[in-house]
Amino acid sequence: MSEMSPRETFMAELETKGVSRRGFLKVCTLAAGAVGLPAWAGEKMAEQAASGAKPPVIWLHFQECTGCSESLLRTSAPDVAELILGLISLDYHETLMVPSGHQAEKSLEESMEKNAGKYVLVIEGAIPTKEDGIYCIVGGHTAIETTKRVAAKAAAIISIGSCASWGGIPSADPNPTGAVGVNKIITDKPIVNIPGCPANPYNLLGTVLQFATFGTLPALDDLGRPKFAYARTIHEDCPRRAHFDAGRFVQKFGDEAHRAGHCLYKLGCKGPATHANCSLNHFVEMPGAWPIGIGHPCFGCTEQKIGFRMPLHDTVDVERPTAPGTYPPVHADHGVVTPAAVGVSGLIVGAMVGAGYVASKKMSADSEKSKGKG
Amino acid sequence: MQISRRSLLKGAAAAGAAVALTGKAEAREKMEPRPDAVGMLYDSTKCVGCRACVTKCKEANGLPYDRGNGAIYDAPADLSSTTKNIIKVASSGEKSAFMKQQCMHCVDPSCVSVCMMGALHKEGEGTRKIDGEKKGTGIVLYDKNTCVGCRYCQIACAYVVPKFEWNAAFPLIVKCELCRHRGDPKQEGPLAVANPACCEVCPREAVIYGKREDLLAEAKRRIAADPQRYNGQVYGEREGGGTQVLYLAGAGIKFEELGLPKLPEESSAHFSESVSHAPYLHGITPIALFATAAFVIRRNKKKEAAEHHGEGT
Amino acid sequence: MSGHDHPKAIGGAIMDPLMKLLLAIFGISLVVMLYRFFAGIGPVSNMTDGYAWGIWEPINVVVFTGIGAGAYSVGLLCYLLNNGRYHPFVRPAVLLGAIAYSLGGSSILIALGRYWNAYLLGAVPFWNLNSVLLEVAVCVISYVCVLWVEVLPAVMDGAARSGSPGFAAWGKKWGPRLASAMPYIIALAIVLPTMHQSSLGGLMLIAGPKLHPLWHTGLLPFLALVSCLSMGYGAVVVLTTVLKYAWKAKHDQELFADMSKVNGGLLFLFAAARVGELAVHGKLKYLAVPDFHLFFFVLEMALFLVPAFMFFSSKVQRDRGRLFGAALMTVAAGALWRVDTYLTAFNGGPGWNYWPSLGEVAVTVGMAALGMAVFVLVSRLFPVVVVEDVHQTSVGAGRVRAAASR
Repeated sequence: MSEMSPRETFMAELETKGVSRRGFLKVCTLAAGAVGLPAWAGEKMAEQAASGAKPPVIWLHFQECTGCSESLLRTSAPDVAELILGLISLDYHETLMVPSGHQAEKSLEESMEKNAGKYVLVIEGAIPTKEDGIYCIVGGHTAIETTKRVAAKAAAIISIGSCASWGGIPSADPNPTGAVGVNKIITDKPIVNIPGCPANPYNLLGTVLQFATFGTLPALDDLGRPKFAYARTIHEDCPRRAHFDAGRFVQKFGDEAHRAGHCLYKLGCKGPATHANCSLNHFVEMPGAWPIGIGHPCFGCTEQKIGFRMPLHDTVDVERPTAPGTYPPVHADHGVVTPAAVGVSGLIVGAMVGAGYVASKKMSADSEKSKGKG
Repeated sequence: MQISRRSLLKGAAAAGAAVALTGKAEAREKMEPRPDAVGMLYDSTKCVGCRACVTKCKEANGLPYDRGNGAIYDAPADLSSTTKNIIKVASSGEKSAFMKQQCMHCVDPSCVSVCMMGALHKEGEGTRKIDGEKKGTGIVLYDKNTCVGCRYCQIACAYVVPKFEWNAAFPLIVKCELCRHRGDPKQEGPLAVANPACCEVCPREAVIYGKREDLLAEAKRRIAADPQRYNGQVYGEREGGGTQVLYLAGAGIKFEELGLPKLPEESSAHFSESVSHAPYLHGITPIALFATAAFVIRRNKKKEAAEHHGEGT
Repeated sequence: MSGHDHPKAIGGAIMDPLMKLLLAIFGISLVVMLYRFFAGIGPVSNMTDGYAWGIWEPINVVVFTGIGAGAYSVGLLCYLLNNGRYHPFVRPAVLLGAIAYSLGGSSILIALGRYWNAYLLGAVPFWNLNSVLLEVAVCVISYVCVLWVEVLPAVMDGAARSGSPGFAAWGKKWGPRLASAMPYIIALAIVLPTMHQSSLGGLMLIAGPKLHPLWHTGLLPFLALVSCLSMGYGAVVVLTTVLKYAWKAKHDQELFADMSKVNGGLLFLFAAARVGELAVHGKLKYLAVPDFHLFFFVLEMALFLVPAFMFFSSKVQRDRGRLFGAALMTVAAGALWRVDTYLTAFNGGPGWNYWPSLGEVAVTVGMAALGMAVFVLVSRLFPVVVVEDVHQTSVGAGRVRAAASR
């Protein structure tokens, strides 16, 4: 038998796992769409993956709950998880990899050497800084040391989840361990922050695949977050927005309005000040699987100033109130001026003035005549 | 003789002018806020434009949604006969501010001054004794039983607040009445008198209800505590004689931009009543005029009858 | 020209083409009015919350009654100043007044939104004595009654002369009784218009913030009173001149010229008071703003001042047509000032604008047509108008005749 090309091998592998070519393309297109790339980019990603050019990914864990990894795996259809893992080469992941102990560390070193300058470093979890970072030591090295070492040769650094982005739960008051985000440790390289608790897995997938396929990172905002996911607030794309606009609010948990699915703003929904795309890219591919979807106000998990900081049921300022065009202006336009009425009134007034003038002139002439008569 | 009659007429006219001019002297006292005056304080900087107050007002007052008339779906475009309270936005360039419009419950209302039969009156102070009204709160209420629909109140109100049911065969004047019907006598303080739905529902406490003097103090306290946030004035403290609904606006925003007109301190009612009442001298003038006229005319008729009889026919 | 000219019923066919036309025009407005009662004011008018009165109040009420102030103006000269030369012109002026005020009063009933509560105007305890409109309403209603009572002598006169014995007996019996009460009725007819005509100006005192400074002033009641007298004099000259051409009514050019001098004085007084007030309150600066307000102000002042000068010109005094034209201008001046005070200078609020609808115009024109029709009808049936070259016939008792010539 002739040798199969890498593509054919890849496709054959997928076949054995019960994944059709169509399903594969679908995931790639989804991932492309998540980053705002056109559909043809999905095909390119698929080709790249099929031709064996899978981007190597090293995934480090620190002060975290592994929720972000879980959200990546908690897909509703098993084949998608397979696909995700099939599209990238996950060289080091403490939860998912097979080896452990010294063998695991060996994998890390090997991958770092083999793919030096080419691998994508994904960090999940906050990094403690108090007492020189002794509050997180893995394999004898503090999180700070490991981060600096692995980041040195990474092609791209991604902080997945709020913990890695800005400190997350570990950094909540009083922050006893001095937990901070990765961008406080690595300050000389661009870091993509994908906050969320958990982060939306498609945001990660899209970013990694864009990097792998095109070699570029998505456009970032001033907090290092990809704009395709974090440019808009929850409020702007919320499915309950119509209720906010119409003033229909839930007053108490369980009341009529709550049953009817009305807006949760009064219960303290942080949606108006929280940048995320939870309502657009659904977790677990299920539209209702997020706080607002199940009837609890958004608590702003992506925002450092809000998540784990502001009380859950405090109301928040609306960051970008609806464009003033949909509110009535201070001086509304009123009054009707119909041309017909204008015309008729003008005619009447004109006729009266004209008649008066003519009458006056005529009487004048008469008066002269009668005077002439004597 | 003819010359003196003509000059009599001219003199009378001139005298009338003099009286009218001097009539501007204080013929009527300045109206002070009632002792238990209640009202609202709206802080434009706290409002997020959620419009819960608009919806709740309709619900509390049994008003239908607006349709047509520039309304977007059921969102009203202005106060109307079906909308007693509305949120508007004032924007200039990049800046925008929210504005809540409803009856201002003036201290010396023009509408009350002009209403022929006292249909619009301050609580407890109408020409008709109405059950359940407590004097002293200063809430401007509407009694449809004495209203003849003359709409003088619409002409008089500087804020164009009273609205009329133009398309009804049996129309009413419609305006915010501070949800007096939601007052609970069993409660303490101002809530015993009224309980505006808009204040109750506001999620940011941008509009609050209470006694006017307390609200005025609170408004001034807010300005003092954070002067950069506000434009430094409390609208309604003195404008047009003062209002019971007070307004705070953000720094750099003028009240006129929010649709609150610039009014002199003297209320229109005070001006109008002073000028109108002055010539009457509490009713003496018309009686005196009548008596004089009757006397003169009778005397003239007698003279003329004497002439006729003298001439014979 | 003695004061013994007798008014005469004009007679003639009642349903002539003119009457038919007037009634047809009124018929159109009647349809509009009926629709208003079914559908509300909104569907027939362009009135809105910013312009709540439209043209029905300013024109139907304020202008019409200003024209009807002829009864008041002439009454002052005739009765108060005892100038009997005006007697022949009193009856037409009073009839004009009665009709104009009736039109004004019924227009109010149509304009009122909750008209069925209007009876409450009689409930004195409910009166809000601060309301200028209340004063107008009560005073106008009273004055309408007084005016029709003032028309009664003509009716009784006609009754006394009529062929029907019952009617004649009634006329002969009640005529003298009415005559003895007349001084008090006329006195009322002087006090009441003084009050409500000035109040018609006072109505807009409250609208200070919404009225243009060139019009809003504490002098509004005074200006309204002066201009209504002027309108009245003008209206009498116009009316009598028209009647002269229509029915050969008696027209005393010399008398009217004299009366118009009084009118001229009033016009100058009005202009002086108005401009003086502007100067005193520092409002002259508004005359420098070239907008449509300035246009109307200048037009008004022209309409006030041009006839004022004309009235003192001997050329005009001798010329019937020119005097008529000048008198017409004074009516127009007063009417324009009123329309300006209520409408053009009134700013309902930013974003509000207004122009009368066809329905409103129809009602106003229709009411005017009705007024003319009633005037013609009454003049044909009863001795209202003094006609030239009338034969002096001895009718009824001397006292009735004496009463009749009042």
